[in-house]
Amino acid sequence: MKVSLNWLKDYVDVEMSPDELGHLLTMNGLEVEGIETVGQSLDDIVVAKIRAVKPLPGADNLFICQVDTGRDTVQTVCGAPNVKVGALAPFALPGVKLPDGTVIKEGRIRGEISTGMLLAEDEMGLTDDHTGIMILAHDSTPGTPLFSLLPLSDRVFDVDITPNRPDCACILGIAREIAAATGQIFKRPKIEIVEDGPPIEDLTSVTIIDPEGCPRYAAGMIQRVNLGPSPFWMRYRLYLSGIRSINNLVDVTNYVMMEMGQPLHAFDYNRLKENRIVVRRAQEGEVFTTLDGVTHTLNSENLLICDGERPVALAGIMGGLNSEIFAGTENVFVESAFFDPVTIRRGSKRLGLSTEASYRFERGADIGGAVTALKRAISLISHLAGGSTSTGFIDNYPKTYTPPIIDLRVDRTNLLLGTSLSKSDISGYLKALEMEVQEINEDELKVKPPSFRVDIGREVDLMEEVARLSGYDNIPVTYPFIRPSEKGEIPELLVRDQLRSIMVGLGFTEIITYSFTSPDSADTLGAEEGSPLRSFVKILNPLTVDQSVMRTSLVPGLLATVKTNILHDEKDLKLFEWGKVFTHKEGSDLPLEKNYLAALMTGFYCQKTCNSAERHLDFYDIKGALEALLKDIGLRGSVFQKETGISRYDPGVCASIFFSGSLIGHVGRVSPGVMADYDLADVDTYLFEIDIEALLKNVSGTKEFSSFAKFPAVHRDISIIVKRQLESARIGEIIKQEGGELVESVQIFDVYEGKGIDPTEKAMAFSICYRSKHGTLDGGEINRLHESVIEKIRKETGGRLREG
Amino acid sequence: MKKKLLELEKNALKALEIADDPSELEKIRVTYLGKKGQLTSIMKNVGELPKSERPEAGKLANIIKSNISKGFEEARDRIVIGKGDQAAFLDVTLPGREPLRGHLHPITLVIKEMCQIFARMGFTVVKGPNVELDYYNFEALNFPKDHPARDMQDTLYVSENVVLRTHTSNMQVRIMEAQKPPLSVIAPGKVYRRDSDVSHTPMFHQLEGFLVDKDVSFGDLKGTLTSFAHQMFGRGTALRFRPSFFPFTEPSAEVDIQCVLCGGKGCRTCSHTGWLEILGSGMIDPEVFRFVGYDPEVYSGFAFGMGFERIAMLKYGIDDIQLFFKNDMRFLRQF
Repeated sequence: MKVSLNWLKDYVDVEMSPDELGHLLTMNGLEVEGIETVGQSLDDIVVAKIRAVKPLPGADNLFICQVDTGRDTVQTVCGAPNVKVGALAPFALPGVKLPDGTVIKEGRIRGEISTGMLLAEDEMGLTDDHTGIMILAHDSTPGTPLFSLLPLSDRVFDVDITPNRPDCACILGIAREIAAATGQIFKRPKIEIVEDGPPIEDLTSVTIIDPEGCPRYAAGMIQRVNLGPSPFWMRYRLYLSGIRSINNLVDVTNYVMMEMGQPLHAFDYNRLKENRIVVRRAQEGEVFTTLDGVTHTLNSENLLICDGERPVALAGIMGGLNSEIFAGTENVFVESAFFDPVTIRRGSKRLGLSTEASYRFERGADIGGAVTALKRAISLISHLAGGSTSTGFIDNYPKTYTPPIIDLRVDRTNLLLGTSLSKSDISGYLKALEMEVQEINEDELKVKPPSFRVDIGREVDLMEEVARLSGYDNIPVTYPFIRPSEKGEIPELLVRDQLRSIMVGLGFTEIITYSFTSPDSADTLGAEEGSPLRSFVKILNPLTVDQSVMRTSLVPGLLATVKTNILHDEKDLKLFEWGKVFTHKEGSDLPLEKNYLAALMTGFYCQKTCNSAERHLDFYDIKGALEALLKDIGLRGSVFQKETGISRYDPGVCASIFFSGSLIGHVGRVSPGVMADYDLADVDTYLFEIDIEALLKNVSGTKEFSSFAKFPAVHRDISIIVKRQLESARIGEIIKQEGGELVESVQIFDVYEGKGIDPTEKAMAFSICYRSKHGTLDGGEINRLHESVIEKIRKETGGRLREG
Repeated sequence: MKKKLLELEKNALKALEIADDPSELEKIRVTYLGKKGQLTSIMKNVGELPKSERPEAGKLANIIKSNISKGFEEARDRIVIGKGDQAAFLDVTLPGREPLRGHLHPITLVIKEMCQIFARMGFTVVKGPNVELDYYNFEALNFPKDHPARDMQDTLYVSENVVLRTHTSNMQVRIMEAQKPPLSVIAPGKVYRRDSDVSHTPMFHQLEGFLVDKDVSFGDLKGTLTSFAHQMFGRGTALRFRPSFFPFTEPSAEVDIQCVLCGGKGCRTCSHTGWLEILGSGMIDPEVFRFVGYDPEVYSGFAFGMGFERIAMLKYGIDDIQLFFKNDMRFLRQF
């Protein structure tokens, strides 16, 4: 909320600098987000008197004015429709710089000399008014600086009002807080009313059909008002508060709302059918046009202010076109009501219509202050627009407000805050906030908050007030006693941190992408019907289509990141992301959230440098990274099986990874089709995805030490020619099966295809390490075992030893 | 003996003169100067000479030792440092074969650092769902339906009762519901808001922390957060607690730290206030305790929440929050 310092000073003395006041408010819970200085670059603008006006020949809307600046009389050309002889107006001489940066020059307009400029309010940055030059009502001498005539120089505080403090959404509320914090006296607005009209009961009536929605409705009337513009001081304050000036009647209602926090509405009395008001719920489908010209279809969530026949306002939100103040308004009916916050909020949400009034009502207006605000408005209207105020006011108050009486314990307060405040300290703070405080005994107070403090209903609410007024900074710093936890880190987090470190060690860089994605992402990955990749959790109110479903895979995020980086000429990428994917879960409101680790490599494995040759990536690079990762977290013996059925992978270059029979992930080359969808058709990319839940089932968390072998090993190599399609793992299995526990390890050290070998065959060379745990191996025994291993391979695979 | 010594000197210097590779040089050093070398063994015998000859022999041995050492150094300079075109030359300024290094995302780094600080104090890390019931995200945190407090956070909805969590505070209710006090818990994670502009991303990361026990005070909250800020931003960092409003805490406080960039003098980052808002906190509202079945007359507690992006931006001097999720290598490589 924008708060004028001059306005505040009407109600509380401020004996500190604006910055100090800003700090005070912030430290009292009214966060000041900025302080703007206004009306200060107008030092060189003076009052001038228009001595003569004649039309500029050949121009319809321009006038040649002779202007008395106090020093001399100059000629200036002006286009304002309201220039007239004898009028006083602000004037800028050549060389003066206006707030928008314009420097006034001497020049000629249509051949006529024009010196300086008569100014409109907007040209001086005062208001947004540009209907004509600013006419100064004051009887002042030409040459007087404008700022000495009008209270232009002001500071505007931008105050963030928290939703619990609607009472501070007005000048008086903030002034009251300043008074409580500084001990200054809080002054109240002037109310001067002469009730010289007929009794209000003779003119109108108010019927409340829905007292739940409208617990209080007060109204006053003034007849024969002079509708017109508001005086500058009021328009200026409204402008600084961010409110547009309309006319003196409407401006007063807004002014009082900004000043006292009570939204008001002025109806044209003559336009109210039967000259009366009825408050009721809207009927289903009832149609109503608000004064902004928008027609709404209503239902019973909307509360209506009606006249004898039809709706005339959306209660607490906006008035109607059919009853608003207009140029012909003579008699005005002013409403000051209290509406139920939830009713106003629902109504406003349903219509998508939020106003200064609904903002205050839905947070809670001051039910006790409705009549005072009404009187303030009537007082101002009769002051500005004259007229005759009817005798008495309507105050229809079917649901009388009973303030809460709250017990506050001194001990408990000190215990919760960590303070040692006395009963009288506490009582003093609360009284400063206009609470009634009664001392029950040594430890207990009974406290009655004022009706505008809608946020206070419980003991703890009072404790907060005590903390606030005594100052959060004065609460001593202490330390809690924290018991050591008996539980360790949760396994998911342990594994996550471990995997991340390993990935970084392997040269991969972590990325974090949005958890939401486009529904197209499943098509892009080529997911078939019924695939979990299509089981999207949809967002009802997404910001964009690209963020309209929760991701079902980490792959789109990784590929999009490849694309972004390639655009920046970053082509050799090793990336990974740890994150959740989301899919529907049958019978549950909440989706299934599963953690995945996905990693990707693209570009060169290594670039050519002065001391190394370039090498492109291939499948074995990503597989190797994955193997290193799995081994490092203690998962030995994972099995890779060729996989052709996963559409995001190249069917020729893909494997599924199993551990103890359960699938834990996939690894392979990203399908060229998928890459093409990312406009990366020629970019060779390798990927793995690991299901963390499946992984966790197989990770024990601790590594087990096994002692070194005591006896020497015997190494034997074999080179064998087999069919090309035979997987090396098959031969490894045969060796281990046949060799039994004497085979310590088998390593494949060469695969050869080409010259000297039939094109349907390949040669593979294995190194077998034989070792016994029980003693030194006997050469003959090993030779026999090795022969039987070779024989077995021959039999099982049809392979043969490679000669020479 | 004198003769022996002079002979040795002559041989050693000659050998050094013709040596032309480092390993040969080393061999010469061992032969003559080493612990078991010739010079050492001669010097050992000095003790066996008649007393009158000993000083002279000793003196000579030392001179020879020093001469050979000098010769050795000269030879080393010649061979190893390479004063000739023919000598082996290692260009140490050529780049090494640097293994490709990976990088953790800066958000991960900050999450790790902050979680470690709280873990050292005795807080336990928990995780929870991103897609959450309205009940845990709002209702049980004392955000009633139709309450303006809900406007404080623009929410992405999955259904009427399911939201993308707008804060990690959902974990307060989930953990309190499942466990009994005493509790000291932190919950880092992703949160979502319907908000996207230069200073907001629709997804970001938050840390929720809370502690529930008997007799926990606002002073304890101040102590815990002061200790955190000192560990995170430096011992001297000043803190300021000021009243604010959150539906699930009462009293509530926003916490500012002295601007880490200007030291409180006022700069663009702190909007010339000298302070930076880094977190929201407060004493857990009795209403929340009622939702989870704790007796507010017996237990009290505090809670706090902060955004990792904000803290990462301050820590690393990052001026654009969007960078965190663009995953540009030119950015990521810097961490």
